Amino acid sequence: MLKTFFKDLIKNKAMLLMVLPGTIWFFFFSYLPMAGTVIAFKQYRYSRDGFLASILESKWVGLQNFKFLFSTSDAYIITRNTVLYNVVFIVLGLFFSVAMAVILSEIVNKRLSKLYQTGMFMPYFLSWVIVGYFVFSFLSTDRGVLNHILTSLGKDPVSWYSESTAWPYMLVLISLWKSIGYNSVVYLAAIMGIDKSLYEAAMIDGANKWQQIRSITVPMLTPLMTILTLLAIGRIFYADFGLFYQVPRDSGALYSVTNVIDTYVYRGLKTTGEIGMSTAAGLYQSFVGFVLIIASNAIVRKFNKDNALL
Amino acid sequence: MLKRRTRDFHQLSPVANALFHVIAASLAIIAVFPFLFVLIISFTDENTLARNGYRLIPEKWSVDAYHYIFQTGDSLLRSYGVTLFVTIVGTLISLCIITLYAYAISRKSFKYRGFFSFIAFFTMLFNGGLVPTYIVVTQLLDMKDSIWALIMPMAVNAFYIMIMRTFFSTMVPDAIIESGRIDGAGEFQTFIRLVLPLSLPGIATIALFSTLGYWNDWFNALLYIDNPDLVPLQSMLMRIENSMQFILQNSNNASLSSGILQNMPQDTSRMAMVVLATGPIILAYPFFQRYFVQGLTIGAVKE
Amino acid sequence: MRIKSKSKKSVLYGLTLLLSAGMVLSACGKNADNGGNTAASNSNTETSTEKPVELIWYTIGTPQKDVDKVMAEVNKYTSEKIGVTVKMNMLDWGDYDQKMKVMTASGEPMDIMFSASWAFDYVQNSRKGAFASLDELLQKEGKGITEVLDPAFLQGSKVDGHNYGIPANKELPAQEVWRFNKNLLDKYKLDIKGVGSLESLEPLLKTIKANEPTVTPFALDKNYVPYVPYDYIIQGLPMGVKLDSTDLKVVNVLETPEMKQALQTMRKYYKAGYVSAEAATTTSVSDLQTAGKWFLDRAATQPFADNAWSSSYGYPVVSTPASDSIIYNWSVMGSLQTISANSEHPDKAMAFLNLLNTDPYLRNLVDSGIEGVHYKKTADNRMENLADSKNYDMPTFSLGNIMLTYLNPSDPDNKWESFKEFNSAGKKAPTLGFNFDSSKVATELAAVQNVKEEFMSALYTGTVEPDEYLPKAVEKLNAAGFGKIIEEAQRQLDEWKAAQ
Repeated sequence: MLKTFFKDLIKNKAMLLMVLPGTIWFFFFSYLPMAGTVIAFKQYRYSRDGFLASILESKWVGLQNFKFLFSTSDAYIITRNTVLYNVVFIVLGLFFSVAMAVILSEIVNKRLSKLYQTGMFMPYFLSWVIVGYFVFSFLSTDRGVLNHILTSLGKDPVSWYSESTAWPYMLVLISLWKSIGYNSVVYLAAIMGIDKSLYEAAMIDGANKWQQIRSITVPMLTPLMTILTLLAIGRIFYADFGLFYQVPRDSGALYSVTNVIDTYVYRGLKTTGEIGMSTAAGLYQSFVGFVLIIASNAIVRKFNKDNALL
Repeated sequence: MLKRRTRDFHQLSPVANALFHVIAASLAIIAVFPFLFVLIISFTDENTLARNGYRLIPEKWSVDAYHYIFQTGDSLLRSYGVTLFVTIVGTLISLCIITLYAYAISRKSFKYRGFFSFIAFFTMLFNGGLVPTYIVVTQLLDMKDSIWALIMPMAVNAFYIMIMRTFFSTMVPDAIIESGRIDGAGEFQTFIRLVLPLSLPGIATIALFSTLGYWNDWFNALLYIDNPDLVPLQSMLMRIENSMQFILQNSNNASLSSGILQNMPQDTSRMAMVVLATGPIILAYPFFQRYFVQGLTIGAVKE
Repeated sequence: MRIKSKSKKSVLYGLTLLLSAGMVLSACGKNADNGGNTAASNSNTETSTEKPVELIWYTIGTPQKDVDKVMAEVNKYTSEKIGVTVKMNMLDWGDYDQKMKVMTASGEPMDIMFSASWAFDYVQNSRKGAFASLDELLQKEGKGITEVLDPAFLQGSKVDGHNYGIPANKELPAQEVWRFNKNLLDKYKLDIKGVGSLESLEPLLKTIKANEPTVTPFALDKNYVPYVPYDYIIQGLPMGVKLDSTDLKVVNVLETPEMKQALQTMRKYYKAGYVSAEAATTTSVSDLQTAGKWFLDRAATQPFADNAWSSSYGYPVVSTPASDSIIYNWSVMGSLQTISANSEHPDKAMAFLNLLNTDPYLRNLVDSGIEGVHYKKTADNRMENLADSKNYDMPTFSLGNIMLTYLNPSDPDNKWESFKEFNSAGKKAPTLGFNFDSSKVATELAAVQNVKEEFMSALYTGTVEPDEYLPKAVEKLNAAGFGKIIEEAQRQLDEWKAAQ
């Protein structure tokens, strides 16, 4: 038994050597700190003898630190908002990123195509604070561009930051605007990596462009799409804080459509700063993601084992 | 000869091509437009801005914002240097670790691929949080106030490993690796000579992401760096920005508001910071774009 | 090709090895280091009579170039006088809170650190055990401090009966004022004599609104809270004790007649256009102030604040009181230096703080830098900045007793006397010295904070109709457990009162 184990090790020694640096890194920067998660079940207080002593001496509080996530009617709103937005982002993001990648790869003039790519990448460099500024210059009640247009059309100006109906659409649009350029790069790279002889063979068979895209490009991208979607599902309980906090300018009137788990936790713990509670919130988000990702991975495995994450 | 033939067949119909141009170009314009504005605002006079709001052609131009930043962050050039070093070294280290790891777990012949995939995957969901990580980096690895504290904590990213693994398993046919084995090449040799050239677009993608990640990182410096000589660009700018915001938010604090608020061109310098921070890195994208090239076929590698 | 790939391979091997070795080594190195450190510090304490002790000092403010240079000078003085040297680390305004939280939570070695009610929260961190209790240390090494400070400072900064920080000797009470853009006052010949209450502003606002369409008459941002005479238990949460009450009854401030009236008035002002339509989401009105496009706002004052404001805006600003001058817990905790719970030398740290708060030479050295380099003295207690002062520009109020510092050319001679007068004129708030312990209601507090953020800015700025939204807010606050928090506060307050 032990002998076969060592034999296996020797047989796989090159591969093991390849994963060694990464494994060491994971040990130090991920698994070792993970032990600190125990704070989620403690009322963390500082001890003068350092961190370990602090953990040991802090009082166990069971699931007390998790309670604030579920205690009020807001619990439903933040969960619903977080999940729904993420589902929309996953679906639309996937569609538009792939579509954009295909379009960019098919455009005949490569120089222009590259220019477009670079352009689309730009929003990635703008922080949410700056994006929030621009959105404000559009939506501001008295000086915003949009209200200028409305009034010049003879309509009443709208107080956008206290009117929640339009915000779900705006947030989705803004999120897509910011992320498409970045996300389509992966798909673009994948398209570039597709073996050209496949297309040549298809052309000899007389397939037109659309058929080629449908029968070669998309299937070749499927594994990547699956993996990225699975990973996105794992983060379905996490929301992009800046998008939901900075862009709507933390306007209370919009909370029904902008309050998500991350903003709720931030607002709730801003004053008390209990690390126990913030760790608990993170653990909750991770745990749900983990369960979801394992479940969806199992489904993917049923269809195609090679495309699965694990 | 081969090239011309592919062109003929490969091309879109003119109508579709035009349509694609319109879609891509309009998206690109929407994406670039705010950036243009950032540039203009950064050169606008603060008072003019406060009076008139954002304008494409401001009433009065000014370089005060840049002046303020160069004055507040007087070691700007040094910070550029730190950022450049961290970005380049960091990306190289990341690439090495990530591609090796991803390649190993992409190989079906690797007995422990499932185990090591899980090791990587798990870290994407669960992490220890700020304080434990801080303790490992400062107390166990003793990296506080060292350039490695800016490099190592970001060196590996399981997300990139998973993408890279997919690239390897879809873009590199098993046949190629087999052919390498028949030639008597070792695993590392096969990897470097046969696999890497085929996965250039994938590697370029990861390199791009990693470069941007390092370039934009400010949080590690906030946590680990006290020495002003080691503060990277983004961190320095972020520090100015955060402090500006903090002071403004506490402006009803009499002690704070009376002295410190003085002469702070806040809107324009915020934009100037964006310009300073992104100007150079925008060039990174075209650089990596060069590797998003088609045409490396199996035949090409074999030759 | 073959050779090349071989060399690549060995490079890769090398890198891998190097990396793993590096990690293991640095881990080991650290351990060895640790051993060395403890040994060194042990021997340090043994020989402390000869060798000065180094204190690590974290304080707030934009890091200054010449800190080390000035500290070298400080060390010359302090090592001789009290056997102490200091290493000062400055963390910028926006970073201080976050970084200090992480560092204290992880047990980073520190000796002295800045704390306040508005950055690296003094009360919370005292309770969490970040600071050493100073009760005995003050007796032993801090005699000078107790002599210098108004007793209200030490009384008001007690947490659960103990002192954890040395408040800076500066303005003690908080007083709100209405500030006016004097250019506009003069232009329309408006008089601010009778102005005091929120309601009394109306005629002035009306004039400005009618004549100056581009000016925001009443500049306010989302943090604005109408002034009502209540002593808030937790900053920002509408729960408090009436200022003139003797029975210390904790009430929901939203349900008080004063607040109801204030909200109605704000609503009236909002509808009349005196307030910006975006006030509820505006984080700062500084753009209005730079452009001079505002007429009045409310701010906290201190002696000679009008001068400071005028010179910082570049046009005259005048003010008139909007509230009484009250000594609150939070105003007492405007700036404190604390001693870390894990400090190896708390007594030395206290000796240093004592010197800092009583010794004019040291205090001015830390504040303004080296004489002849950063500033020059023009009279006994007057100075003038030299060109190099830009490399050492410190926030005076954060570094201890400000009344020892030399006056700037623009300061009046009686500056510190005025501060003392201002301080002695302050009335004590009913809960001065009481600090709420929120740990029993942490869950409710998190939920209540969210409700508060949802409604308060809109209500306080008059953006929404109080008749409709006030009941809604109260109901949702209660559903989130506000009642329980008030009850707990009342219980703790009663206990505290009984113990007085």
